[in-house]
Amino acid sequence: MTQQELHNQRLLREAEHAVLRMHTRRHFIKESAMGLGGLALATLFGCSQKKSASPIVFDPAHPLAPRQPPFLAKAKSVIYLHMAGAPSQLELFDYKPELAKMDGQLCPPSLLEGKRFAFIRGVPKMLGPQAKFAQHGESRAWVSENMPHLASIVDEISFLKAVSTDQFNHGPAQLLVHTGSPRLGRASLGSWVTYGLGTENENLPGFVVLTSGGKNPDAGKSVWGSGFLPSVYQGVQCRSEGDPVLFIKDPDGMSRDLRKASINAINEVNAEEYKQYNDPEILSRISQYEMAYKMQISVPEVMNINNEPQYIHDMYGTKPGQACLANNILLARKLVEKGVRFVQIFDWGWDSHGTDSSLAIDIGFINKCRQTDKAVTALILDLKQRGLLDETLVIWGGEFGRTPMMENREGKQNPYKGRDHHTEAFTIWMAGAGVKKGFSYGETDEIGYSAISGKVDCFDVQATILDQLGFDHEQFTYDFQGRPFRLTDVKGRVIEEILV
Amino acid sequence: MRLLYSKKTIVVLLLAVTTLSFVLFTKGDRVDYSTQVKPIINKNCISCHGGVRAKGNFSLLFREEALAKTKSGKYAIVPGDPDNSEMIRRLTLTDPEERMPYHHEPLTKEEIDLLSRWIKQGAQWGENWSYVALKPIEVPMPKKFFGLVNTTSDWAKNEVDYFILDKLNQNNLNPSPQADKTTLLRRVSLDITGMPAPQSIANKFLNDESNHAYEDLVDSLLASKRYGEKWTSMWLDLARYADTKGYERDDNRNIWRYRDWLIKAFNKDMPYDSFLIKQIAGDLLPNATDEDYIATAFHRNTMTNDEGGTDNEEFRTSAVLDRVNTTWNVLEGTTFSCVQCHSHPYDPFKHEEYYQFAAFFNDTRDEDTYADYPLLRIYNDSMQQQLTEVVNWVRNNTSQQRAKEVKEFLKTWQPAYNSLACDSFTNSELNDTKWASFRNNAICRLQHVDLTGKSHLIFRYQGWMDGGVWQIHLDDVHGKVIATIPLAKTSGWQITETDIEPATGMHHLIFTYTNSNLQKPTDAGAMLDWLYFTQPFPGKDQPGYTAVKNEFWKLLNADVPTTPVMIDNPPAMHRTTNVFERGNWLVKGDKVLPGVPHILNPFPAKQPRNRLGLAMWMISKQNPLTARTMANRVWEQLFGAGIAETLEDLGTQGIPPTHPELLDWLSYQFMTEDNWSIKQLIKTIVMSATYQQTSKLTPELQQKDPFNKLYARGARVRLSAEAIRDQALCIAGVMNDKMYGPGVMPYQPPGIWQSPWNSAEWVQSTGGEQYRRAVYTYWKRSAAYPAMLTFDAASREVCTVRRINTNTPLQALTTLNDSAFLDLARHFAYRMQNEGGENVVQQIKKGYTIVTYHNIDNKSLAALLKLYNTAYEQFKADKQKVYEIIGGVNEHTNAQTAALTVVANAMLNLDEVVTKN
Repeated sequence: MTQQELHNQRLLREAEHAVLRMHTRRHFIKESAMGLGGLALATLFGCSQKKSASPIVFDPAHPLAPRQPPFLAKAKSVIYLHMAGAPSQLELFDYKPELAKMDGQLCPPSLLEGKRFAFIRGVPKMLGPQAKFAQHGESRAWVSENMPHLASIVDEISFLKAVSTDQFNHGPAQLLVHTGSPRLGRASLGSWVTYGLGTENENLPGFVVLTSGGKNPDAGKSVWGSGFLPSVYQGVQCRSEGDPVLFIKDPDGMSRDLRKASINAINEVNAEEYKQYNDPEILSRISQYEMAYKMQISVPEVMNINNEPQYIHDMYGTKPGQACLANNILLARKLVEKGVRFVQIFDWGWDSHGTDSSLAIDIGFINKCRQTDKAVTALILDLKQRGLLDETLVIWGGEFGRTPMMENREGKQNPYKGRDHHTEAFTIWMAGAGVKKGFSYGETDEIGYSAISGKVDCFDVQATILDQLGFDHEQFTYDFQGRPFRLTDVKGRVIEEILV
Repeated sequence: MRLLYSKKTIVVLLLAVTTLSFVLFTKGDRVDYSTQVKPIINKNCISCHGGVRAKGNFSLLFREEALAKTKSGKYAIVPGDPDNSEMIRRLTLTDPEERMPYHHEPLTKEEIDLLSRWIKQGAQWGENWSYVALKPIEVPMPKKFFGLVNTTSDWAKNEVDYFILDKLNQNNLNPSPQADKTTLLRRVSLDITGMPAPQSIANKFLNDESNHAYEDLVDSLLASKRYGEKWTSMWLDLARYADTKGYERDDNRNIWRYRDWLIKAFNKDMPYDSFLIKQIAGDLLPNATDEDYIATAFHRNTMTNDEGGTDNEEFRTSAVLDRVNTTWNVLEGTTFSCVQCHSHPYDPFKHEEYYQFAAFFNDTRDEDTYADYPLLRIYNDSMQQQLTEVVNWVRNNTSQQRAKEVKEFLKTWQPAYNSLACDSFTNSELNDTKWASFRNNAICRLQHVDLTGKSHLIFRYQGWMDGGVWQIHLDDVHGKVIATIPLAKTSGWQITETDIEPATGMHHLIFTYTNSNLQKPTDAGAMLDWLYFTQPFPGKDQPGYTAVKNEFWKLLNADVPTTPVMIDNPPAMHRTTNVFERGNWLVKGDKVLPGVPHILNPFPAKQPRNRLGLAMWMISKQNPLTARTMANRVWEQLFGAGIAETLEDLGTQGIPPTHPELLDWLSYQFMTEDNWSIKQLIKTIVMSATYQQTSKLTPELQQKDPFNKLYARGARVRLSAEAIRDQALCIAGVMNDKMYGPGVMPYQPPGIWQSPWNSAEWVQSTGGEQYRRAVYTYWKRSAAYPAMLTFDAASREVCTVRRINTNTPLQALTTLNDSAFLDLARHFAYRMQNEGGENVVQQIKKGYTIVTYHNIDNKSLAALLKLYNTAYEQFKADKQKVYEIIGGVNEHTNAQTAALTVVANAMLNLDEVVTKN
């Protein structure tokens, strides 16, 4: 290709880009309450509309415009519940009676040789399951007594019982689950999805993050960061205390109609500016201020759970006014109902090492289970009764699992019963859009240490989520630093086995 | 600093130039590899035949690979003989299983012809433009042509403009006229100092009708202290500077002296070559000063992982690789991180070259310790005086070498062994995976300690129980005991000393610890931080010994401020570097020595193979990337986009420069004539007519050049996160001019900081500290200042080479509703009342002029007045609202001020205010 041709190709690309910009602006101007349409329409007519959905062009003027995925999507939205700290699969879903028999015995050396653990040192003892298990539903799924509500809906769920990771510290492992790399700098799952699909409801962010448990996840805000993607695709943290979105509330003393009047004044002055400079960015800013005004109404509205009927509160076990997981799970339902594409929930406090009672596998862990069990069960049932479960993909899991051994931090017995971080096998479950109901995939050995069949990893889970949203994870890329990047890096396989 | 530009009357014929360039371009049949062949290969071939993959044993990445025999036994490329080159044959077949590119669209006839001609001509590999050393560039001066006069001949102000004009002419475009004075004033002030010029400088310029008024303005802005703050803001993204350590716990880190070093370096216009040498290797300079050490904190801005259970060696390695990636990304405009796992798929960098480069950084003392060792201990003047006395005494009574050791130890506590390097623990463990701690009957090992000439140990430890005895054995738990040291209970960390039996050579030290006072087998009695093997304090028989030694210990124990710095390992602690197979740090491949990629300039012959030599290599005039990267970056800061848009990648996959000759001219000028002066580089660009054009967009330009790649108009860019805050501080008239010091905490909503295992809190600064420039805002990586993050500031976990501006409703919400901005709106309203007179119309007019330097148009004035009146009516009727918007009862609590605050709040949100016109 000659230099000139290269140049022409670039110009062509820019022209396509420009068309897209104009197209999205036309959309805005039609809706604009400012009546600015007359200003710009003359330059807009005559542009051909481009129907093809690929490739994704980042349009700084309207980066969140809704887009069609390249393939048929089963899921319209995703609710990802991440239990930060990593819940024990051995006290929840992976029933291991053989492990009970080994309780208190020294760990066989074969399980320790060549392995790296975060805290286990020397030879730890085995720790039998600290909960009673029973089979439930038509699928006869094993669920422990720690999740009595969830046990009643196992026939809606597909369990992945042999998920693995290669990261045994929280921060890196959480990054791997959500960004496809244990190191910082990559884009999170939700930001990829928002980049690819935009948002259905322009008055709400496309990617909302809700946290509970009193702390942010270990990896910090990077787990919902946009990495190399434009920052507009990062998750917007909505909060149950204080402003639901930072700075969404008008300052004290500023009435709603005064705010409206001030945005009108800003936009009128900006319209004068546009007359002088003709820069389309000015039109874009006008629309962003309009949208900000609308968000000020729509966000607090959707974030307010007080208007929900009592039976919904009872169902979820919410505690209005508190930053708790149950509230966030109810909010997740409200948000997807309103067209939010991706809701990411983090609940902190699942790191059951046994170093104190709140982190004991037979004390604090049970409290954490109680906080999640009722609400997440309610979520599935509620989505179902609203006809949303078929188009909403729900994922529940942690960043790794817990060891079948009792943790012996620094080589000594911990004060409470606990388990160390475990990378080789843990359980994640999915439900909703396109996922088999009452199914289980993958098996671990008789003590739950390693996968013996159906082993999957974080990349496979990511590939599956993208697949359900209508993306081929190998083709869904973003050019950065001279090469196309994808969420699943060079890995990932869609777990067809759990899909309908 | 004044530049003189000759304004020749220049004559040009557009058509002729276009024809000429066409002729030049097609001259001869010589095929150019970089511009013609490489794009075809990169697009169609390289994903299977190069870098990661070499299908059929055929790779097009390097010439020697491409000319080798392929798996089929045939030669894909036979230089000079396209007919016998398998590559050409396979490109032209019809069988889809045989024809290349495999299962993709065939190449066009023109492309195949081109490749054939290229092979015929010898299949020479060329180099990407950015890998060729800079040389003098001829400025494309318009020529007189048939006596025809070009209308734009008067437009050009300096060389920059001729390059721009040349390209504009080729595209039949004319430049735009100069922007009006007020717009220019605001633009150049924001660009050079990151904030509007103070009233004094502004008025001088606006009232100066002379033809050097603009240049005087530029000179005074470049001389302003605010200049260094603005360009430091930019550099902090590159240095991934933050006030916390990152990762899960994200604790505080005291490294702000590095930020201050940058401000001072920019302000005194430290030449860019020195600027880089000091940041890469200031510690290795002869007679390095404290400031030289502090400069090396550039590469101590890597993160430290304090999460319990993390492998310190893993995160030490991670920091080393981050230094490699950052150095390339930020200083050499190259994406090098791919080479961590495999040879670069597109650019000519080999896998082992990554690790050769890493070897420069892999031999430093830092080891992911909790304290961020090594630290420079910063003594106050009187202590510094005492230190000099101690060091002089040692020099006079022993040797220069001993004095140097004592000085280094007092200044850095180095070179010491960190206890986290211990292993083979019994009844012993790394406490929180950070410090070796002992229970009763503990055993652990510290490997590879050089004891030659050492008979004394200084160490830092914490004791929790009296009665502990620590013994050091040579090589084996039953080996010779060289020290028996009682470890008493301490209150916190304590540094102490003991003699050890002399030994020679490298040894593994086995530590044992017993303490019968420990009741439970799980109770720990003591833990170690670091160990410094040395000789007893010298000059025992000399007069003054006791006093000097006391002084030494006082200094050693002094609780002084510190900054993390780079310090190399002494030879005995040397760390070898290996290739990591496929980038996995646990799978070590061949050992490598420090080196630079073969494709670039050779390593300077007389330089040491360490960071200092590396820095000299970077600033060599033969290095093709250093000057280009910086010149491109400065252009990007001024125009919103680089001449090569991908600042981070000037390689073959980056976006090619729009004006390659201009970039090369600026870069060459920068490193030669201007002696690496950044101020001069900035001045050259802002003095150009190109820079001074109006940014008004005409329909013609909208159509022909929507993204301003040709520069037929001035840049119109949204302000950076920092400038938005700084400008508001200026407009409100409350900016605190104070420079330097620890990060400050302006208003931030509660609940932003929630790091696990970390109880640190955001405590809002008071007493004017909350009104300091954005560059001084405390930066916590995992939860950075939200109002700035919203405006695309980087969280700085890793380097950010360029920010991508977005335009979102969350930004609107921030400047509308953030209490920090509302507070500034209030002060702005007071200022309008103070400076604008009694009449509200006058006040709004005055406010608008404060914000933009020019007068408000009638329609805009009407819109703001209408807002004022609406607000006034509301506030008049509702005193509670007045009280709320003013934030209490004071002399401003009245309906007029409340209404004007609403107007001020709106004015801070105008497009013209958040944008640089």
